[in-house]
Amino acid sequence: MAFNYDKYLRLEKMPTLWCWGCGDGVILKAFVRAIDKLGINRDDVCVVSGIGCSGRFSSYVDFNTVHTTHGRTVAFATGIKLVNPDKHVICVAGDGDALAIGGNHTIHGCRRNIDITMIIINNFIYGLTNSQTSPTTPKGMWTVSQKAGNIDPTFDTCNLAIASGASFVARESMLDPKKLEKVFVKALEHRGFACLDILSNCHINLGRKNKMASAMENLEWIDSITMPKKKYDALTPEEQTNLLPTGILKEDTEADEYCDMYAEIIKVHQGQRKTISQDDFTKKI
Amino acid sequence: MGTAMTENVNNAPVWVNTSNCKACDICVSVCPSGVLGMRYDSTSTLGAMISIDHPEACIGCNECELTCPDFAIYVADKKDYKFAKLTDDAKERQAAIVANNFMSLDQQGVK
Amino acid sequence: MGTREVISTGNELSALAAKDAGCTFFGGYPITPSSEVMHEMSDLMPAVGGVCIQMEDEIAGVAAAIGAGMAGVRTMTATSGPGISLKAENLGLAQMAEVPLVVVNVMRGGPSTGLPTRVSQGDVAQAKNPSHGDYKSITLCAGSLAECYTETVRAFNLADRFMQPVFVLLDETIGHMHGKAMLPTEEEVRDGIVPRKSFDGPAEEYFPYECEHDQPAVLNPMFKGYRYHFTGLHHDKKGFPTEEIETCRKLIQRLEDKVELHKDEIESNEEFFIDDAEILIIAYGSVSLAAKEAIRHLRAEGIKAGLFRPITLWPSPQDRMRELGAKIPKILVVELNIGQYRDEVQRSTGRLDINGLFKVNGRPISPYEIVNKVKEL
Repeated sequence: MAFNYDKYLRLEKMPTLWCWGCGDGVILKAFVRAIDKLGINRDDVCVVSGIGCSGRFSSYVDFNTVHTTHGRTVAFATGIKLVNPDKHVICVAGDGDALAIGGNHTIHGCRRNIDITMIIINNFIYGLTNSQTSPTTPKGMWTVSQKAGNIDPTFDTCNLAIASGASFVARESMLDPKKLEKVFVKALEHRGFACLDILSNCHINLGRKNKMASAMENLEWIDSITMPKKKYDALTPEEQTNLLPTGILKEDTEADEYCDMYAEIIKVHQGQRKTISQDDFTKKI
Repeated sequence: MGTAMTENVNNAPVWVNTSNCKACDICVSVCPSGVLGMRYDSTSTLGAMISIDHPEACIGCNECELTCPDFAIYVADKKDYKFAKLTDDAKERQAAIVANNFMSLDQQGVK
Repeated sequence: MGTREVISTGNELSALAAKDAGCTFFGGYPITPSSEVMHEMSDLMPAVGGVCIQMEDEIAGVAAAIGAGMAGVRTMTATSGPGISLKAENLGLAQMAEVPLVVVNVMRGGPSTGLPTRVSQGDVAQAKNPSHGDYKSITLCAGSLAECYTETVRAFNLADRFMQPVFVLLDETIGHMHGKAMLPTEEEVRDGIVPRKSFDGPAEEYFPYECEHDQPAVLNPMFKGYRYHFTGLHHDKKGFPTEEIETCRKLIQRLEDKVELHKDEIESNEEFFIDDAEILIIAYGSVSLAAKEAIRHLRAEGIKAGLFRPITLWPSPQDRMRELGAKIPKILVVELNIGQYRDEVQRSTGRLDINGLFKVNGRPISPYEIVNKVKEL
């Protein structure tokens, strides 16, 4: 007997539509293992995906699933979560989906600190639409929309999430599925907005024109630009320049969660408490 | 069409669902023990298919299963199967397989 | 029928109706002249244990509302024309995935930012086809304060019956009008609620999108053991993406037919001095109030004018308009746009001699203007 993935998969959809060696499948697998580890009932999970290769994620897992419009995962998930505060709502979006067209929803999801686990599958490119520049495409790389080399600066997804108020922020890559599973477990256990920057490969649409045409070459490149947070923190700012720290970068278990706060609003309107004032919060401006 | 392949019907250390495998080479690349290799297969997506050449050398580390994006390779539970220990021979074989472009050692030519 | 007297505004009555109709979620974004709907919902929703959330933009407002609808609750958003433009793509998703939702649009001058604080009926054509692709919009238009309430209630029941977004068009005049309205009692509204259909057989036999050619999907609430898939892609009976030719054709044809073949359940009109009319005025929304006043003046002068007021704008009451067009010699469409509904009257009656009285400067049409125009005909 091996680990039973089948219980969580829509087997009739296998094999996936993703390219050979695509990290999306590894991430999906680690996610399923995390759900299993926590013993979460499939009926209590909702997976919301957007548009892009990552958009297919929701159709492969046997949960309550929603495939939304481009970039809007967090907005749809917010509605689903607010009327079901005790259920697990998970967003899956790509770097283009979550940070370009859906950037506004991502930062406001972080700001509200609503209890949503957001898995950003960051492969540094628009894969599904064939190699256009994304907000995380490194400068100087070839893209089909910038054939002379990408000049657009990049977002640091985790710094963006931290600055926007997410209470759990982590980065891992599909290179280490065991760590990935662990971070998913932690994120799912966390009450608040968990923003996960999960680095993945797209050797097809990023790699082929950027000297890493196989999955392994693409993964070696990801390995070369990442470093565990502890080691990263010991470096000088110059040494940190071209590296991304991995691991849990922020974990604040004290931050107010949005559904919990809304429950207080309901109490006010149902006469169970007085109006909320600035004194109810530690941080005042 | 996927099929349930979690059952270890042949009491093997590692087994493959060939209808899910897309021949991406990742499992071969992560094996520390030279168990796996690719073989030419004109009917497969990328002209190759995973092959379990040295099951007796499998150490049960589960790396191939965890890194397989396609739910194509499975490893037995440590409770159910007595796995081998990692040997220098196995490490050398693994290095040779990587050098052979992830192809099984009896497979020649460029994929 | 019991009644209660309420003194309020159109926008606030629309919110009250939502609460009484069992709505428990509102997702929105501030926009003049519809904001008061959200203001009111922010009190009404938590009072009944529901949620009202001001999202980061118009797109998120409708997305959150649709999300709540997917989860299984009655849900609403409110906005004005620019907001509908932004929400359009997700309204298309709600049409495709068959998610019930009520969208209140308090119309202001357009296009673009237009005249934010002034009245218009410029979103009538937009309401017919806000998003790309084929589907059949259901659009109701309130012509009085009481109707801001009753049409919103009706919109919720229609949304659950047809499993799709339903528009309630108000306009700035009626949305901000403050006065007395005679409303049905809360109990009556509650008794009239027809919740969306659900499936209670075994989960393995549940196919949400497997239905008769003219019937909507049967979408069970989330988290109840019936796991299925929502998507904006063409989909099969379980909701999964497909490109199978017959499945795709049948799906889109069904989105059309579920409304088109059941128009009688949606159509609603008011006829005012029609029987002996020689001049037919067609008007809707706040303009119909001016038209009625004009007709009283005209009748006092011996001119036989009458009013046909579509309350359901889309699908249009084309059969009734054809009958009236065959009978009444002169027809005048009065609206606060340049003939958006006149086109529909022309199409329905098959007549090209339909007169129009249009106004697009953000000001209401007065009864006096209508009287003068009728006399010119």
